[in-house]
Amino acid sequence: MSPSKRADEAQGFYTGNQRIAGAFLAAALTVSLLSGCKFFKSGPETFSARLEISPVVGDQPFQLDDGSGAVSYRTASGDQFSATRLRYYLSNFRLRRADGSFYQAPLDAKSSEGYFLVDVAVPASQTFKFIDAPAGDYSGVEFLVGVDDARNSAGVQTGALDPARGMFWTWRTGYIFLSLEGQSPQSSAPQHALTFHVGGGGKDSLARQVYLPVGETPLHVRANIEPLIHLHMDVAALFHAAHDIRLAETNTVMDSAQGAVIADNAASMFRIDHIHNEPRKASHAP
Amino acid sequence: MNAVRKAVAKGWLKLPGKLKSKLWWLALPLSLFVISESGAYLRLQTFIRLHQTPQLNVPNGWPAPHYDFADNRVTPAGFELGRRLFYDPILSRDNTMACGSCHQQFAAFAHLDHRISHGIGGVNGKRNAPGLFNLAWQPNFMWDGAVHNLELQPIAPIENPIEMDEKIVHVIEKLNTDRRYPAQFRAAFGSNGIDTQRVFRALTQFMGTMVSSDSRYDQYLAGNQSFSAAEKHGLQVFREHCASCHQEPLFTDYSFRNNGLDRSPPDRGRADVTHAAADEGTFRVPSLRNIELTAPYMHDGRYATLEQVLDHYINGVQPSATLDPLLAKGIQLDAAERSDLLQFLKTLTDETFVNDPRFAETDE
Repeated sequence: MSPSKRADEAQGFYTGNQRIAGAFLAAALTVSLLSGCKFFKSGPETFSARLEISPVVGDQPFQLDDGSGAVSYRTASGDQFSATRLRYYLSNFRLRRADGSFYQAPLDAKSSEGYFLVDVAVPASQTFKFIDAPAGDYSGVEFLVGVDDARNSAGVQTGALDPARGMFWTWRTGYIFLSLEGQSPQSSAPQHALTFHVGGGGKDSLARQVYLPVGETPLHVRANIEPLIHLHMDVAALFHAAHDIRLAETNTVMDSAQGAVIADNAASMFRIDHIHNEPRKASHAP
Repeated sequence: MNAVRKAVAKGWLKLPGKLKSKLWWLALPLSLFVISESGAYLRLQTFIRLHQTPQLNVPNGWPAPHYDFADNRVTPAGFELGRRLFYDPILSRDNTMACGSCHQQFAAFAHLDHRISHGIGGVNGKRNAPGLFNLAWQPNFMWDGAVHNLELQPIAPIENPIEMDEKIVHVIEKLNTDRRYPAQFRAAFGSNGIDTQRVFRALTQFMGTMVSSDSRYDQYLAGNQSFSAAEKHGLQVFREHCASCHQEPLFTDYSFRNNGLDRSPPDRGRADVTHAAADEGTFRVPSLRNIELTAPYMHDGRYATLEQVLDHYINGVQPSATLDPLLAKGIQLDAAERSDLLQFLKTLTDETFVNDPRFAETDE
């Protein structure tokens, strides 16, 4: 091949590449301009609503223990327990409209937006914007304790669903939907340990759906109002709700068969304490 | 340059009129300079390398792959990064053990002569390290199918205390402090940052494009090579007695079955995952491609030779509640059938694959 021909080809490749790059740049610019402008956004304009979760045991605040057993509680059946760690996933939030239908924010398969890892040890994880919804009045909120099956078996995720966050089983695919670790004098496990790792997908998924009506006053989602739902998460319900858990027998839960019982109870942990329909602080505040 | 000028002068090479202008002779070296300095030359190199980087091409007659590379396009930088990670002991707790330690290319990425593999510090594992190829077609992984996405598979051996005993978070810390990894991740994914997703997508670009489809059997089907009479007969025997589980062209139906190794299976197998009584002692049907190279055999590596494997199926199948019905009477083969079947199984060895330099450990 002569040098001139080689140069020609190289040049052709170069300019072709440049042209493609230029086209991409133009397309990217157009897309970013369009998406930045609400006018071109598909669907109605949406506004955020927030959630705040307070862990409780019955009517008293719940606190994690430092491992010494100093902070302990009793289950409804009288077993004593303390927890050094309590983490769980909430996802698939929907708001119920007055006509009984639901609004669910669209999920993006490429991001973990809409999936929340709540860690009782991290206060910031217990208050978050849970949905962006069109302006309107909503009478209830629905969500999943856990991760839906599609995402539970998808490829490696980022953000709240990053497997490195310690809520992913390593020997098998899937998330730990709820993890409680601590101690109980009644536990027959070594060091009286209490270990609940609840999760599992497939047709018998342990993700549990929870629906909570907001009460007399609906949730007002408005351009100038950012409603806040204050949830109580009652740890006592984990041990006594649909099933009564005795810690002498049930203290180490890792598989989905035993986990189902805990998952059923986990669905009963949440109740709405009150809601605020507060003026939105700054427009489009996250 | 003179050669071109001479060629034009003698009329061997016809250039468009405008190329003959004096101006153009100035432009040519200038443009060569610009190209070499502007990175276009590098891009040209990248373009050429892209064609050397394996892509997931579906061989003729094969089903659609299970893993979709649409969200994880194979690029030269991504593939190279995946290859480096695969062979880098940085993925283990004490930096002594890589994926490639128990998955050796010459053994079709199985672990030669190891009934079970040992983890770091010499702890023994529980199951045999399988060969790695055609993974993009595999719906789930590990002998018990506990992992059902190729991207997530390496997390299991990396975090298993009896294998590499490391934590993903720590792997990422180590990669971040490495001299070369940060730049390699930037090249592979277009921006700074090393996270779980990028680590495992890069590994997937490497592992997912390991396709073994060039054995003598494949060449025979394509009409490029002939089989001996024994091999032809062996193929017949195979299709009659083995192919209901080891389905062509991947030589597995990806089901979980109890092939009668034990009366009361000591390893629960698939039941570890499903907790179903029907799955007690069942394991994934492995592909028979490259079977000559992936000894020892079975989920626990109990058989060292293919002869022993055939002995088992002909004489040794043990009854149990979950024994696969197809094996209730074992496999009935006479001596000729047996020896021809063995001949045929050896045609499944893919020398191209096990010698492909793109999948080999790099010297860096």
